[in-house]
Amino acid sequence: MDSPKGKAALGVAYQIPRNTLALLMIAQVVVIVPYLLHLSPWLIAVGLFSGYWRTRVYQGVWDYPGRLVKAVLVVASIAAVVLSGIEGFSLEAVSSLLIIAFALKLIEMKNRRDAYLVIFLSYFVIAIQFLFDQSILMALYELVAIVVVTAAMVGLNQLHTQVRPLVSLKLAGALVVQALPFTIVVFLLFPRIAPLWSVPLPNSSTTGISDELTPGDIASLTQSDEPAFRVIFDGERPPSSELYWRGLVYSEFDQGTWRVGPRLLPQAPRVSLEDGLRYAVLLEPTFRNWLFALDLAEPGTNSVRPTRDFRLEASEPVLSVFRYEVRSDPRGLLDPGVLPEFIRIRETAIDPTSNPRLTEFARSLWQQTGSAVAFTEAVLRSIRQEEYFYTLQPPTYTGAGTIDQFWFDGRAGFCTHYAGALVYMLRVAGIPARMVGGYQGGELNPITGHLIIRQYDAHAWAEVWQPETGWQRVDPTAAVAPARIEQGLSAALSAADRSSLSIFSNARIGDWAIAGSLLELIDSVELRWNLWVVGFDGNVQSGLLKSLLGELTPARVGMAMLGGGGLSLIVVLIVLFWRRRTLPRHPVELAFSRFAARLAAQGYPRRPEESPSGFVTRIASQVGLSDAQVGGVIAELDTLLYNPSVAWGNAELKQLKRQLRRLQFRLAFGATR
Amino acid sequence: MTPNSTLISRSSSYTTTPDVKTLIGRLNDGLNRILLGKDQQVKMALACLFARGHLLIEDLPGMGKTLLSHALAKALGLSYNRIQFTSDVLPSDVIGTSVFDRESGDFRFVEGPLFAQVVLADEINRATPKSQSALLEAMEERQVTSDGVTRPLPKPFFVIATQNPATQTGTFPLPESQLDRFLMRIELGYPEPDAERELLKTGDRRKSLELMDTIANLEGLEKIQHAVDAVKVSDPLIEYVQRLVSHTRRAGEFAFGLSPRGALALLQSARAWALICDRGHVVPEDVQAVLPSVVEHRLREAADYAGHGGGALAQKLLTSVDVVG
Repeated sequence: MDSPKGKAALGVAYQIPRNTLALLMIAQVVVIVPYLLHLSPWLIAVGLFSGYWRTRVYQGVWDYPGRLVKAVLVVASIAAVVLSGIEGFSLEAVSSLLIIAFALKLIEMKNRRDAYLVIFLSYFVIAIQFLFDQSILMALYELVAIVVVTAAMVGLNQLHTQVRPLVSLKLAGALVVQALPFTIVVFLLFPRIAPLWSVPLPNSSTTGISDELTPGDIASLTQSDEPAFRVIFDGERPPSSELYWRGLVYSEFDQGTWRVGPRLLPQAPRVSLEDGLRYAVLLEPTFRNWLFALDLAEPGTNSVRPTRDFRLEASEPVLSVFRYEVRSDPRGLLDPGVLPEFIRIRETAIDPTSNPRLTEFARSLWQQTGSAVAFTEAVLRSIRQEEYFYTLQPPTYTGAGTIDQFWFDGRAGFCTHYAGALVYMLRVAGIPARMVGGYQGGELNPITGHLIIRQYDAHAWAEVWQPETGWQRVDPTAAVAPARIEQGLSAALSAADRSSLSIFSNARIGDWAIAGSLLELIDSVELRWNLWVVGFDGNVQSGLLKSLLGELTPARVGMAMLGGGGLSLIVVLIVLFWRRRTLPRHPVELAFSRFAARLAAQGYPRRPEESPSGFVTRIASQVGLSDAQVGGVIAELDTLLYNPSVAWGNAELKQLKRQLRRLQFRLAFGATR
Repeated sequence: MTPNSTLISRSSSYTTTPDVKTLIGRLNDGLNRILLGKDQQVKMALACLFARGHLLIEDLPGMGKTLLSHALAKALGLSYNRIQFTSDVLPSDVIGTSVFDRESGDFRFVEGPLFAQVVLADEINRATPKSQSALLEAMEERQVTSDGVTRPLPKPFFVIATQNPATQTGTFPLPESQLDRFLMRIELGYPEPDAERELLKTGDRRKSLELMDTIANLEGLEKIQHAVDAVKVSDPLIEYVQRLVSHTRRAGEFAFGLSPRGALALLQSARAWALICDRGHVVPEDVQAVLPSVVEHRLREAADYAGHGGGALAQKLLTSVDVVG
């Protein structure tokens, strides 16, 4: 502040400049907006209210809130969060509190210190958003948000008289871009430290397969085209009809609902495969432990372990995109030979009175067939030959005997209905059988060559145990709607079913070629983002660091961070210097400057305002050289530098240099004399 | 050493066409016969008119301001009007006004003194800002609008304004935006002793002005102006001008930098100066010669809140920017 009035200047220095206040408010809005997807909408009202209050304060109409008002606001907002039905200590509850406090801070913000607090809080709020969503779109949005927040900080440091929001934005953008190389280095090298305290999980309703399956569940999943996971095959890819992504095994049946049942003891069978399919799965967050893989799967990632029923489980719930490697052998047998007694009991338990008509039907069929294989065949044959329909909108089967109603009355259902009926009948006949849930099929993305499995690929099928083959997959849906397995869901649906899907679901948009390839492009971009950024966890990082540094010691990692950080700063420096590089100098000017520097060393300094010919003229008259001795040089200098109508080339330049050198010697000789 | 007093005759691989050269020489001689001992200022005024710019002459009363402008108009054979500004001059006194013509029963526009090829706006800073701006609008647009009708001014249209130094009482100083419209501002200064003795011997110069012949005509002036445009400028010189201009923008001692219009004015004046010095291309000395006249009224010292200290600034600018990049 160059104002002579010290006290007034001090007051101005601690105020928040007007435009910066606007920029700060914009930054707050930008930062809060993505939370609207996750948090309750009344938070907007709080934010708008604070913004309005702050504007009134700025206009001088209202005053800042008093102590009592502030206390009431704090208590009221905590009460509102508690009362708005957000569960306990969840991420939603905590971040709601954060957002309210952040919005209310606006009406408390008086001087620069408060403004800095809001700015740092904005960065924190941006970081917290990534607990909800780590997609590439969100990352790009938050990058913009960082620029806006940084611009507010830049604006805060401008003079009161020179606040220009556009300039601040531009500068902030440049700062963020310059920070990117260092960000990448830190992202690659900074150790992934395990969290010191557990972060509360978002308890928003998750999509995907759950551990309880009622027949309507999977039909409702088909309304969603959210990706469930993506798979990158290393080598050959089995045909679509063989892609049964096993995720959950349902052993208990009660009142029309299939449940996973009590946990099996964790003594997993040792699966060790020599060859088979190798692939990596990038699972979208499910907030559950179970993973999806093809039979018979062996995990290739440390934190993934197999279970007793040949599924894969992660050691922690999957909170962000999780990458795991799997090796699968489709010819591998599950529990061949003798089935342990506790599993046999578990997988044959059924209440035969729950669906009496079907129990009767199954018992008579068992008497006709006599073997598990023939029995299964007979059931599938009746599905195939009799009037059964595959539909997303089956009649509702309620009350007692839902499977009876489906099998004998409705005769229309979804995969869960058919698989459930089959498992029920097999268990009535005393054959070990169970329901399996997961996904079936997947679309190939031709750009990156990976498979994407979406929620509408959710599927349920049955498994039957035989001593010779172990657990064998039986899919009654293949009997009623072969197209579902061969070509995917949309091929198997009737026109009525397809129109019931939401308008933007891929099953309909994909009908147009351009839109379809655009979706494929977006999908492959998302895959790369998940693969290289979100999926870059501690495992991948240590792999990368080992291949870069050899052994992993703290000293080496530290050195790598220092080196990489330095390198990234050097990149920024080079860019800066390149932008400020001077234009290539005119060759005659260069030659003359060198000549003038040599003369200055000889005691004939040149004044900056002297033109080349003027300088030579002055020196000549000072020393007493004749016009004949220097006239040529002077004319030449003038012509080459300032007369564009005279063309000249290297020869003239050389001659001028020669003349200048001769003049220099003459002066040196004259000076010594 | 004044920057342009190079001892050596410069290379003249290019010469202006003989008639342009002799015409300039005759104009110069004729004016110098009227205005004694002011050859530098006469040259500068000629350069300003050749570069199609308006001229502001600032000096104390009685230094020959009016004489110079009158002599310029007469030598160039242009129509000439003089407006004496006072604080009660109204815009309509300058532009003209509509009067009712009883015979035709209609309004007729009576042209004001502005409708001439050379207008001498005498003591422009004695007029109120309203009347000043009436003149200055005309300078920029080369047309005037009165009663909703736009009328072009004659071609060429030069304004030679004189003003007393702002420190004199009863003046309204011109704001920066209006000063910027004058290509040059020159000062005449007290005459040299020799010239003053000669003046005292021969008496009032206005008599010799009356006897003076018209030297050039409109055609000749246009020829000279085209010749100014044809003067060549090399890249190193453009870079020098650019360095000068950007120095005024960066260095702390200037309250504000030169505008791009100022930079163009500097280059165009240097061209005219080069032509007067009988050269087909511009050399740094030409830029340095016109620099004080072109930039001083456009610059203000950062420490100088009140007005145009000027003077030392151009010299400071010259000595702090290297001719060779």
